[in-house]
Amino acid sequence: MMESLTLAQLAFPEEMGPSVLAPYLFVSTAMFAIGLIGFLTRKNMIIMFLCTELMFQAAGLALIAFGRHHLGSDGQTFVIFVLCVAAAEAAMALALVVLLFRHRETLSASAWKELNG
Amino acid sequence: MEQIIDPIALYLICGLGAAGIAFALPRRDRDGGRTLTIVGGLLLAIAFGGAALLMGLRASHNSAALPNIFFYPFAAIGLGAALRMITHKRPVYSALYFIMTIIASCGMYLLLSAEFMAFALVIIYAGAILITYLFVIMLATQAPTGDKDELLDEVDAEAREPILACAIGFVLVGLLTAAMFRGIGDLPQPGNGATLAQAQNQVLAQLPKKIDKELARQGLLEGGWRVARDQETGQAVIDVDARTITLELVDGKDSHGHPNIIATRTLTSDEWPESLSANNLDRLGYNLLNDHPMMIEIAGIILLMAMLGATVLARKHVELEEDLKAAQARKLGAYMGDEPQGGAA
Repeated sequence: MMESLTLAQLAFPEEMGPSVLAPYLFVSTAMFAIGLIGFLTRKNMIIMFLCTELMFQAAGLALIAFGRHHLGSDGQTFVIFVLCVAAAEAAMALALVVLLFRHRETLSASAWKELNG
Repeated sequence: MEQIIDPIALYLICGLGAAGIAFALPRRDRDGGRTLTIVGGLLLAIAFGGAALLMGLRASHNSAALPNIFFYPFAAIGLGAALRMITHKRPVYSALYFIMTIIASCGMYLLLSAEFMAFALVIIYAGAILITYLFVIMLATQAPTGDKDELLDEVDAEAREPILACAIGFVLVGLLTAAMFRGIGDLPQPGNGATLAQAQNQVLAQLPKKIDKELARQGLLEGGWRVARDQETGQAVIDVDARTITLELVDGKDSHGHPNIIATRTLTSDEWPESLSANNLDRLGYNLLNDHPMMIEIAGIILLMAMLGATVLARKHVELEEDLKAAQARKLGAYMGDEPQGGAA
């Protein structure tokens, strides 16, 4: 039986219940909040987009934890999708940041106040 | 319904965490905010450590399962690096701390038996996306500052409304965790108590060729024999719970194009080869292609659009205004003037 078990199943006991799921969800929520706080407080546009990546990461952790609890693969499939969206977002956001930087020579989000609609 | 954590304790922890992050956010003062950052980090560590301790005590009081011991260092590294990422004044360090967060969450993915996603995350996030970020940080950097914090731009050195943002963030944490922990005890225990390995092996019936290959490798298939396929669905006739496999001997095809079955026999659970099991990747691939084929198309369109958009945006030519150019030159001069060697060059 040993060789048929994969790496992580050997290291991790099979038990999974609310008391195991809860700490993962807490970490995921705290990570999301840290990302949100970073997005709200930092003025540097690059850091702001890094913080959105942190929020994606937190959502992915919650998806995988719930997927493991339900013994399904859907959670992991959605994390693949989250990864795609994160990659697309990084490409777009960074192209925008470079463009905006070339206009104003600053990364400050408040340099673009007039965009507030 | 079992309680995960006392709500009052949870709100206290959130308050402590909010105060910690508010202290740690960058600000301008005499020692560059270093003392306050350390105080903030300590407060946050106390908050999260307290949460872990309370949840652990409650779980052991209810004699419920605890997460793997490796979960705690991974969570601590992940959250600590995330805190450093949003509080560090230099963007390059922020990006590097984010890589650390990624690697810590990969560790948690491994503990949650999502091996493929763990390694994909290292390759895609840490290897590709973060390198792009580093490139842009270095491309779009303002005047060099060396080691001097006072030369840092106002953009990086100060936070905007730290107290308000921390309050909002941790009200969110408090509400979300309170709501999740209230319902978490009522979550159904899926799979009738099946273990993960059993649940994973359910996908084997969909992969008859994999079974054929594995049985042939173990020398259990003589010429012409193969795993029996269901006539309508094409699934392998295999009972994962009872660990029996039905084999069939095929000789050519009949007039309807169906395989001509001469004989069948059943492998008992004693003959089930130990190496025959579905792994995380088998299951994930089957789930992705069978249950969510539309998602692949949508992901493809999103990536194509992002690529086009980035190309269009990056091609735009921007003419700098004169006063901006002059300001940049002044800034560069101020930096060079402080260092004799740099000034000479």
